[in-house]
Amino acid sequence: MIDERTHSWLRPLVALFVGVVFFLPLYLVLVNVFKPGADIVPDPAGLPLPPTLANIEAVLSRPDHLFTFGLVNSIAVTALSITILTVVSAMLGHYLARSRRVLAKVAMVVLLCGLMIPAPVILAPVTSVLKTLGLMTTLQGLVLVNVGYYVPFGVLLFSGFVKAVPRELEEAAELDGAGKARVFWQVVFPLLRPASASVLIFLGVWIWNDFLTPLIVLGPDSGTTVTVGVYRAIGQHQSDFGAVFAFMFLATLPILVFYLALQKNFVKGLTGGAVKG
Amino acid sequence: MADIDQVIRTVPPRADRDPASRRRPSNRSRLPAKLGRAALFALPGLLAYGLFVLVPIGMTAYYSLTNRNPFNPPTRFVGLRNYGELLGDPEFLKALGNTVIITAIVTVLANVGGLVIATLLDRPTKLYLALRGVFFTPVVLSSVVISVIWQAILTDDGLLNSLLRAVGVSDPPGWLSDPGIALYSIAWIITWQMLGFCVVVYLAGLQGVPRELREAASIDGAGPVERFRNVTWPMLAPALTINTVMLLITGFKAYDQIQVITNGGPGTGATATMAFQVVQTAFTGNRIGYSSAMAAVMLAVVATVSVIVLRVLQRREVEQ
Repeated sequence: MIDERTHSWLRPLVALFVGVVFFLPLYLVLVNVFKPGADIVPDPAGLPLPPTLANIEAVLSRPDHLFTFGLVNSIAVTALSITILTVVSAMLGHYLARSRRVLAKVAMVVLLCGLMIPAPVILAPVTSVLKTLGLMTTLQGLVLVNVGYYVPFGVLLFSGFVKAVPRELEEAAELDGAGKARVFWQVVFPLLRPASASVLIFLGVWIWNDFLTPLIVLGPDSGTTVTVGVYRAIGQHQSDFGAVFAFMFLATLPILVFYLALQKNFVKGLTGGAVKG
Repeated sequence: MADIDQVIRTVPPRADRDPASRRRPSNRSRLPAKLGRAALFALPGLLAYGLFVLVPIGMTAYYSLTNRNPFNPPTRFVGLRNYGELLGDPEFLKALGNTVIITAIVTVLANVGGLVIATLLDRPTKLYLALRGVFFTPVVLSSVVISVIWQAILTDDGLLNSLLRAVGVSDPPGWLSDPGIALYSIAWIITWQMLGFCVVVYLAGLQGVPRELREAASIDGAGPVERFRNVTWPMLAPALTINTVMLLITGFKAYDQIQVITNGGPGTGATATMAFQVVQTAFTGNRIGYSSAMAAVMLAVVATVSVIVLRVLQRREVEQ
């Protein structure tokens, strides 16, 4: 849009300005996590000099353990859910992409429709199903709900990647005497590593950040995830921004680290040798 | 990809071209058993999906025809009465309208903003790569966290109004407490969170526009505006489809921001959305029958709009 030769300074300047304005809300959280509570309202945008860890220590040593228990629950639920989802949707995506049966095509369409279903639409009956199974207000129940709800997304990603794996590869392995399971785990699944990385990243972030489903499924009594913990924390001390911001900072840190670590892997998976020997 | 090619080359020729293909009939007779075992691979995923999505959908449809309320048995079949009640329920109609407004604002603003910022950042140097990360960060954060941040900024004595008072605005607006403004504040917060998603998708689209094409248009005398309209924009059609469908679905299911920031208020349901009404009616009011009818309408609206928009946008992709 702009004449680059005469205004070469304009683009970086505008880009930087827009970026800084966009980032301001996050900046406010970051500086105030390390500021004494009393200094936040009179000087919200100032740098925390000298920085204090009082807010973070207060969150970690809460007498109700809202953060520490929440963290353990979040890690358990997210890790279990995405591990099961990766395995289950790789198997299902592979089967549906390879099968020529009409029933498989129908199953695929039904699964993809699931991508559109908002969680609130099915939440009340989901609690009925969980109660029937005796899994309401349990972490296992939440994991199973996550698996059912997010499996369409996993299948969508995996089936796309399976189509890029030559069918001949599987047939060759079968001719060599490998069984179905062995062909899948030793030949196909390693080739799907980029898809696995995407599934782990996307679903890891979504499940960690999920609010409504854990709020309802885990219920008010039996502990919660860190994301629901943020919501509980603001209910308790609305005006103490330092404590709330520190809680959010700590609740976000693990998933941000996970995202940044896997994102690199994701790029490597796309470009590096997924096939060995 | 190079590695896959290599593997293909080392793979033995296909069985049917092989002299051993005479063994095929015996292979075929084993086929049903093999397929059965292969289907076992599909079972866990389908089972979980069936149990926690399909069965609940069916239950929602059934409950919507009853007066089910776990604290007020017995449950009776009431036909379409719940749906009739919905049509005259001002709270539900208000929530439906609010949801449409939020969805429309988010879809338009995040698309336009995402496209402008992507165009701005479409350069390969470090500054622009870092800025990409800045815009994408909110996408990775929980909407609960983002809601709390914006609540601290927009609340009556929050950071924004303190700033406005400092520069001489004596009576700054109640961004979250004025029933006429709060809904737009919520739409803005969702837009801010989704913007980075659109930026990244449009950037991917822009990288698919061949430089030669733009240069050729430039040599033919096309100005920057014409170049964008006739060369770049048509090639961004798939990106527009992805963003629009994603934003529509996000807008229609808006719940977290309302629950965390306004709890449906201020006043009577100024920011209540369909998702919020469904959850309130089901889990606070315990009117499962009625909330199921709401949920069914919500699903019908989401599905209809998404499918129509997807069809229209995909047809547009093919034409170009």
